Amino acid sequence: MATKTELTRRTFLSGAVALGGVAALAGCVTSGSSGGSTKGSGTGAIVFQNSESDPDPKAALTALVKEYNANPVGGKITMNTVATEQFRAQLSTYLTSSNPPDVLSWYAGSVARDYASKGLLLDLSELWEGKGVASKFSTALKQLSSDDKGRQIFMPTDYYWWGVFYFKSNFKKWGVEVPTTWDEFISLCDKLKGQGINPLAQGLSTTPWMASGWFDILDLRVNGAQFHRELLAGKHSFDSPEVKKVMKYYAQLVPYFDPNMGSYAWQDAVTPLVQGKDAMYLAGAFISENVTQNADDLDFFSVPVIDKSIPSAEEAPTDGYFASAHSKNKQSVMDFLTYMASPKQQEEFIQKSKSSNLPTSPDVSTSNFSPLVQKGLKLLNETKEITQFFNRDSSDALQTTADTALVKFLATPKDVDQILADWQTAAKKVWNS
Amino acid sequence: MTTTDLSHSAAARSEKTHKRHPWVFHAYMAPISLIWIAPMVFVVFVAFRSFADITQNGLGALPHSFSWDGFATVFTGGLVSQALVNSAIVTVFTVFFSLLLSSWAAFALSRYEIPFRRVILLIMLAGNLLPAQILLIPVARITDSLGIADTLFALILVQVAFGLGFYTFVLHGFMRSIPAEIFEAARVDGAGELRVYLTVVLPLTRPSLAALAALATTWVWNDLLWALTVLRTESKFPINAELLNIQGGYVSQWNVVASGALIAAIPTAIVFFVFQKQFVSGLTLGAGK
Amino acid sequence: MRRVPPLIWAFLLVPLAMELAFVFWPAINSFYISLTKWNGVGAPEYVGLKNFQNLAADPIFIQALVNNVYWVIGFGGASVVIGMLLALALNKPRRGVGFYRSAIYLPMVFSLTVTGLFWRLLYAPSGSVNGLLGLLGLGDWQKQWLADPSTALTAVLVAAVWRQCGYIMVLYLAGLKGVDPTLEEAAAVDGASRWQRFWRIVMPQLRGVNAVVFAVTVIDSLRTFDIVWAMTQGGPYNSTQLLSTYMYQTAFTTVNLGYGSAIAVVIFLLAIVFIIGYLARASKTED
Repeated sequence: MATKTELTRRTFLSGAVALGGVAALAGCVTSGSSGGSTKGSGTGAIVFQNSESDPDPKAALTALVKEYNANPVGGKITMNTVATEQFRAQLSTYLTSSNPPDVLSWYAGSVARDYASKGLLLDLSELWEGKGVASKFSTALKQLSSDDKGRQIFMPTDYYWWGVFYFKSNFKKWGVEVPTTWDEFISLCDKLKGQGINPLAQGLSTTPWMASGWFDILDLRVNGAQFHRELLAGKHSFDSPEVKKVMKYYAQLVPYFDPNMGSYAWQDAVTPLVQGKDAMYLAGAFISENVTQNADDLDFFSVPVIDKSIPSAEEAPTDGYFASAHSKNKQSVMDFLTYMASPKQQEEFIQKSKSSNLPTSPDVSTSNFSPLVQKGLKLLNETKEITQFFNRDSSDALQTTADTALVKFLATPKDVDQILADWQTAAKKVWNS
Repeated sequence: MTTTDLSHSAAARSEKTHKRHPWVFHAYMAPISLIWIAPMVFVVFVAFRSFADITQNGLGALPHSFSWDGFATVFTGGLVSQALVNSAIVTVFTVFFSLLLSSWAAFALSRYEIPFRRVILLIMLAGNLLPAQILLIPVARITDSLGIADTLFALILVQVAFGLGFYTFVLHGFMRSIPAEIFEAARVDGAGELRVYLTVVLPLTRPSLAALAALATTWVWNDLLWALTVLRTESKFPINAELLNIQGGYVSQWNVVASGALIAAIPTAIVFFVFQKQFVSGLTLGAGK
Repeated sequence: MRRVPPLIWAFLLVPLAMELAFVFWPAINSFYISLTKWNGVGAPEYVGLKNFQNLAADPIFIQALVNNVYWVIGFGGASVVIGMLLALALNKPRRGVGFYRSAIYLPMVFSLTVTGLFWRLLYAPSGSVNGLLGLLGLGDWQKQWLADPSTALTAVLVAAVWRQCGYIMVLYLAGLKGVDPTLEEAAAVDGASRWQRFWRIVMPQLRGVNAVVFAVTVIDSLRTFDIVWAMTQGGPYNSTQLLSTYMYQTAFTTVNLGYGSAIAVVIFLLAIVFIIGYLARASKTED
């Protein structure tokens, strides 16, 4: 019947219009594909996927990339910044996609090694040999950047240290001095507590990993870096006598923590430190990003030695870049990484980012750095062993078990034996999965 | 009729009561609504403080400073103006196509004897039952293999697909309650399906479409998850994803975060105010009044 | 039996095809991944029902499940009751009602990061909640709401309900527009009490809206993620862990995608049981 044929035509027309609209839409909203590289030349433009979203470091990176693009050695760089948590969630998708970002910022550790073992990361060994930009970097850094086969797959560009931060003017006001032994440290805490000040600041609310800071440092002081690395690799158990010994020292600190630490995120806890309600804060040097006024007043000391027979060790998480093995412009990647890891650019990044980061290149002149940073550099140069941080040395999965165990411990230190046993059970699950 | 007289007098009686004591209503509604407005006041406070003030005095303190830093950083530290444009494009197209397609499906399922139509409707709704997070990686792979990864087109496609189940379910309810006589009358007049759809169904469901449009605008504009799954290039990010990238991994400048949140909230607030009346008269399932 | 015209088939099949491609295909992928061990790279390793067996023995999962049941009842119940009360109060047109309605809907417009931040501050040791308790002379009740495992979940629940009310209110406002006022007045004249009028006259006319609200509430309760994540990230030590936050944590923080997908399957099955059961019954009575 006439109506039916009309309908059929109408059906196709409306369908075609819809599809056509969608196709036109696709045309006008699809900007050029990312990268836009010429196949095979190897020197085309590349994409730099960045996870460093903190305001000042991000501004520093943006400036560096802009300078490079003004006079690029290799292809031009397109920089995209994605917040860390989301970056982590997408990292495997980035690396396995058909058009992966060429350079990605991250840190060395189990994650990088895992990706390398699956062939997803570009071999950067040539940058570590001969006249390569990383050829003069320390052996520790080279080891950190290597995969299981001994090839380098990571380019470290900066690192920072962990220390007990305090304000010099506050110490002067309270009439106390920096402790040099553990006993002095404890009696300092007692004295401060007697004056109505919380000796130790801490923030665990949405940042429970801060509790691992003290755990790591105490483990390094009590059992040494070797044991600590093995523990985090699953070779020792969490309810072993050595770990119990660490927890005994940790228990000494519990009465000195700010009682509100469960309600503060790590950053919120800087406020009482600034206000003089709390005295000291074991944190990474990133804390200086929060102290914008009276930056010179901020100082730190290393957690005092507990056992003199243990070789010195400090925590110094290292950040840098790795590259996708499927990048279409490997030469551009090498050129860009050479640029970012060069002494001049490392120095520029550290100054522009206003955070207390240290360069990995030994050729960077440190005389322009702030006294705080120079002190940090001295600390790390004089220490025998360096570890990263709990999650970087082990895995994010193990970190969640540490968060649960340590936050619980800080709330109910008497249950330490049960907590350690539960921690070991949870850790075993992680190792077996 | 007696009933009408009675109802009129009863209605008049209650109206008189309310007119005599309007302050009673305001007395309890005003404080209640304050509870709901308080966060906006807080965000405005934080947006206009300096970061040093926040560190010094804490986030919850009354402002000790006034500064435009937050807003300045938002506009210079990120690609915010581009992001607002991206959000507008994605939202407009997504809402339009979501409602178009779901009105089609609702029309088909509610007025025609399609076999298993109840099952199909429930299956479509079931698409909304899975938490979106678990679908991130498969969806990312699918868009990648279709070659549309990292495009706004893919983001629109994905968001339209995700809304279909719920919108179809709601519109189905409305369309079912349109009296059959109206359709019979149209058919008697010789109208084909398309004409029925355009001249009968769409006008009668306009209020619910407007309401869903307002809700959908809020949801699509506020989306974060899909944008970060499908998109990779920062210049294509919509506003909420871009604002997340202005926060830090370690340090968050709360005044910047608050300024960004205000900027992002304004368009949806405007849409809500504009569509507000439609909301209220729209989602009626006992239609036709 | 009327033959269904081809246009109508197209009307149904185009959206259905889109949903199949972009929702169901990934969902089926996820269901498959729940039977494997996978970290996002390389090939997934098939492990059968091992993930589910591990779930059954996982204390964190059990806690998340228990928390979620509490959440469905508490969050679902409170937001529906309060939303409905607000709708009843703001139903009749009068001066200022538009402002009040908008005020209550406002939280839905704001990003959840900011909302979570705001509530974290309210609950802070020196924040407004404790401040108010102090003013009322209830100083003993002051505590660290989000840090205390016995109060954290309820504290987050209050924030989530506060936000959801506007949405539920809007749904009921619309539904009440379809309620015939004359029936209610007639019952009032006949001497029915307010309560009787509400349950016998108004509620039955809201049956359609109730179905939508029920579906929305169950779905939102089982999928609640952002506000909990922004306020506590599932802590302190898993006391505020819900199914979707635990799923997110296993899938993305620890990148154990097989396990995370298994949790998603559990969420899906729970939602199916509630929704399909209720709606299948409801739509049968309607037809």
